[in-house]
Amino acid sequence: MTRSPLQDQVSRQLFKRRLWWAAGLMTVAFAVLFGRMFYLQVSLYDTYHAMAEGNRITIEVIPPERGRIYDRNHVLLADNQPVFVLEVTPEKADVEAGLTRLSALFPYKFDTDRRDRFAKWLRHQKPFKHYLLPFDLDETEAARFAARAWQFPGFRLTTRLKRVYPYGSLTAHTVGYVGRINEMDLKTLDPTRYQGTHVVGKSGIEKQYEDRLMGQPGWRQVETNARGRVVRVLEVHPPKKGEDITLTLDIRLQQKAYELLRSRPGAIVALEPETGAVLAMASSPGYDANLFVDGISLNDYRSLLKDPRKPLINRPIAGVYPPGSTIKPFVALTALEHGIVSRRYSIFDPGYFEYSGHTYRDWKRWGHGRVNMHKAIRESCDTYFYQVGLKMGIDMIHDGLSQFGFGHRTGIDLPGERRGLIPNKAWKRAALDRPWYNGETVIASIGQGYDLATPVQLARATAILANRGTQVVPHLLNAPVAPEGHIEIRSRRHWEAVINAMVAVLHDPHGTARKAGQMILPWHMAGKTGTAQVKGLRAEEEYDESKIPKHERDHALFIGFAPVNKPRIAVSVIVEHGGSGSKAAAPLAAQLARHWLELNHVPPERGRRTR
Amino acid sequence: MPQRGLLTRIHLDGWLLLGLGLLLATSLLVVYSASGGNLAVVERHAMRIGFALVLMVLVAQVPPRQLMLVAPWLFAAGLLMLVAVLLFGTIGKGARRWLDFGLFRFQPSELMKLALPMFLAWLYAWSPLPPSWPRLLAGLAAIAATAGLIVVEPDLGTSLLIAASGLFVLFFAGLPWRFILAAVAVVIAALPVVWHFMYDYQKQRVLTFLNPESDPLGAGYHIIQSKIAIGSGGVWGKGFTHNTQAHLEFLPESTTDFIFSVFSEEFGLWGVGLLLLGYMFVVGRGLVIAWQAPDNFGRLLGASLAMTLFIYAFVNIGMVSGLLPVVGLPLPLISYGGSAMVTLLIGFGMLMSIHTHKGLMRAGGG
Repeated sequence: MTRSPLQDQVSRQLFKRRLWWAAGLMTVAFAVLFGRMFYLQVSLYDTYHAMAEGNRITIEVIPPERGRIYDRNHVLLADNQPVFVLEVTPEKADVEAGLTRLSALFPYKFDTDRRDRFAKWLRHQKPFKHYLLPFDLDETEAARFAARAWQFPGFRLTTRLKRVYPYGSLTAHTVGYVGRINEMDLKTLDPTRYQGTHVVGKSGIEKQYEDRLMGQPGWRQVETNARGRVVRVLEVHPPKKGEDITLTLDIRLQQKAYELLRSRPGAIVALEPETGAVLAMASSPGYDANLFVDGISLNDYRSLLKDPRKPLINRPIAGVYPPGSTIKPFVALTALEHGIVSRRYSIFDPGYFEYSGHTYRDWKRWGHGRVNMHKAIRESCDTYFYQVGLKMGIDMIHDGLSQFGFGHRTGIDLPGERRGLIPNKAWKRAALDRPWYNGETVIASIGQGYDLATPVQLARATAILANRGTQVVPHLLNAPVAPEGHIEIRSRRHWEAVINAMVAVLHDPHGTARKAGQMILPWHMAGKTGTAQVKGLRAEEEYDESKIPKHERDHALFIGFAPVNKPRIAVSVIVEHGGSGSKAAAPLAAQLARHWLELNHVPPERGRRTR
Repeated sequence: MPQRGLLTRIHLDGWLLLGLGLLLATSLLVVYSASGGNLAVVERHAMRIGFALVLMVLVAQVPPRQLMLVAPWLFAAGLLMLVAVLLFGTIGKGARRWLDFGLFRFQPSELMKLALPMFLAWLYAWSPLPPSWPRLLAGLAAIAATAGLIVVEPDLGTSLLIAASGLFVLFFAGLPWRFILAAVAVVIAALPVVWHFMYDYQKQRVLTFLNPESDPLGAGYHIIQSKIAIGSGGVWGKGFTHNTQAHLEFLPESTTDFIFSVFSEEFGLWGVGLLLLGYMFVVGRGLVIAWQAPDNFGRLLGASLAMTLFIYAFVNIGMVSGLLPVVGLPLPLISYGGSAMVTLLIGFGMLMSIHTHKGLMRAGGG
């Protein structure tokens, strides 16, 4: 940067002249702005002052009506009902006094606890907007308020549409519920679209299909008088109603499922095997979804949270259980397809299996004697599967079960689905940083150990079996969903062998679910019982209940489909701590399937033989 | 070596600090009022201001010599990122303006607000002014490339303002007057062509600007309401927090682009006068710093940064008062909102650096 002082002098002179020009430009420009402001604020003051005073043209948002939800027979599951509500404009109201009077007037709807929470919330809102109070009024109550309205300046009686679930607790987990928009929701919602809307889908279908159900708000331009009352409507752009949604659910079957569970903790999932459509999906115990619509009271919420039966968990998709013996048909099929064993291959079961210094017991203390695959499934022989599983190795078991969807989300259209787990060597290395032991393969082959599955996974795997390989995707929206794929079958006879054994589970005098088999006659059902040990499982992947000693009874499980040749329904049942699958779970599945077949007038199958 | 005050020793400039402090304090008050008394908004705003001020102080510690060294690299990086934005940028509000780095989103056009004037000042720092024709053409090419990449995002407002800050460097470097006059003539002649290439919403803004009453419900609504707010403020204003127009939600974007309407409704013509004087004071101080700068880099960069503040303020106030079309630009140092505030204050950090590193510059630069 060396240069002569003379040159620098030239530069500096030029630059300084330009600086003067710039200063001049700025002065002129700001003078123009000031002149403009003078023109607006002084010369035109009277005009604009009058316009501001008369600025009574406001735009009001008209919220859209939320789409309704129907079951497959067009029975309403989620409806909108007009109710009276109160609206408060903090700026114009004596908020404290007004709220106190309201809670005195309607103590059963607006207790002091809810009042304080609302008052606290309201303090952080804009004073000049209006806000809905968190409860609604019937006609008599509205009349009571109207008679005392003069005591409540800034409060206004108005009407709105409220979400109502006619089947409250039967659909709480699947249809879900809407709730007040909270701070968290505001981060993800489009504020323009949700202007004037107070609720948003919080769970289940209501959340999953929020975008379709919501609709588009409209607006009207109105002229108001000095007190804010509408004098004239100038222009109306009606809202676009949200889309109605029809589910694959049949509320009659749903009702039956809840009846069968009798509020015991557990879950039932029923699918249409051909399509993957969910026919019933029960999570027991249920709770009344209507409680959540206006913001649940603290007491109600606390009792739901504290209930040891955990009613808020959506068990069909978020409850993970050791699948126990219900995975045996899938393990057997994998073994057949890979040629590990033939259908005729048999072992001798003395009631236990010894492997590298450990003894693995069969559930039947004195053993099953000579056991081939058919008998092993029919009587749920553990020893057979210990040995076959060991021959297969954990990775083959894992890959086989994966084809049936174990260890993967089914992709059902509900939020919050869990993945479950089917271990393999790579998983254990990555997750626990330990090598795989063959002893773990032994228990994994009867669905214990690390194995975890959700009821919907079990139902889907059953449907895939019923379809003889077509991997359907469970779904609730009544619209066709393409199957994910098809399991390559080497021999169709392998499939029928396993299915025949599952028929024997229900219809053979030695079958583990022979009593349930009687319940479904004249139809036939293929199924498999399961009894999942709760005690001694890894605590972090289980429910809290398992830690409580008196609840250490086994989970009862059952999977099955009917009719055998042209399956119309695939079911999975879990009764937590229900004891054995054959007694506690299988009868539920049989009765549910029977109910469905009766409802649809499915003709009984003829000529099905069982061995 | 002159006596150096405490502020100078930590490389800050008292006059600039005073002016910025007054404007930022005003900003907090007006944001409070325009948000309807929402303290959470004010708090977030204050935190952003604090963050921006810290960056300003840090940048002020960097000697101009080093700013000059990084200038070409910064500019090159900025150009690359603008290209990257077009290729993989994330879309928001209908335009592709951001690069998503996972942890944060970055708007390369913000970087260019500083990098372009820095690069041009670097370009003309090596030889006496006025620069040779090749250098002038190189500068024009840099401006055209930057503005062109931003205008296709599309972000017309920012593109024009960045072009303006670049053109200011050329102007201060001594771009011949005949050239300037010729360019103005060409621009006027080219307007119909520009019109042809504008997006519909941009055309709509221009049409609305020319006749707001033609579309009172749509785009013109903002301008009409803004003018009502300003006009009804009168000479003395309605008083702090008495901005009925924003309260009743007649006024859109009351804390960001249209905050000046709220300000002038509440404080009237005298408040507007004081605010304009505040801007003139800060810009004027920036020009004085440029005047006293010891070398061409400091002169050109300083003067351009100062005039950038002027042009931002002028365009925003002109826009909300109906003198200029609505281009969606915040009022500098007053509006709620983060990135523009940070960029501006970093620019002022550079001005302070130019002013307070003179001694070192002479000693080191020769």
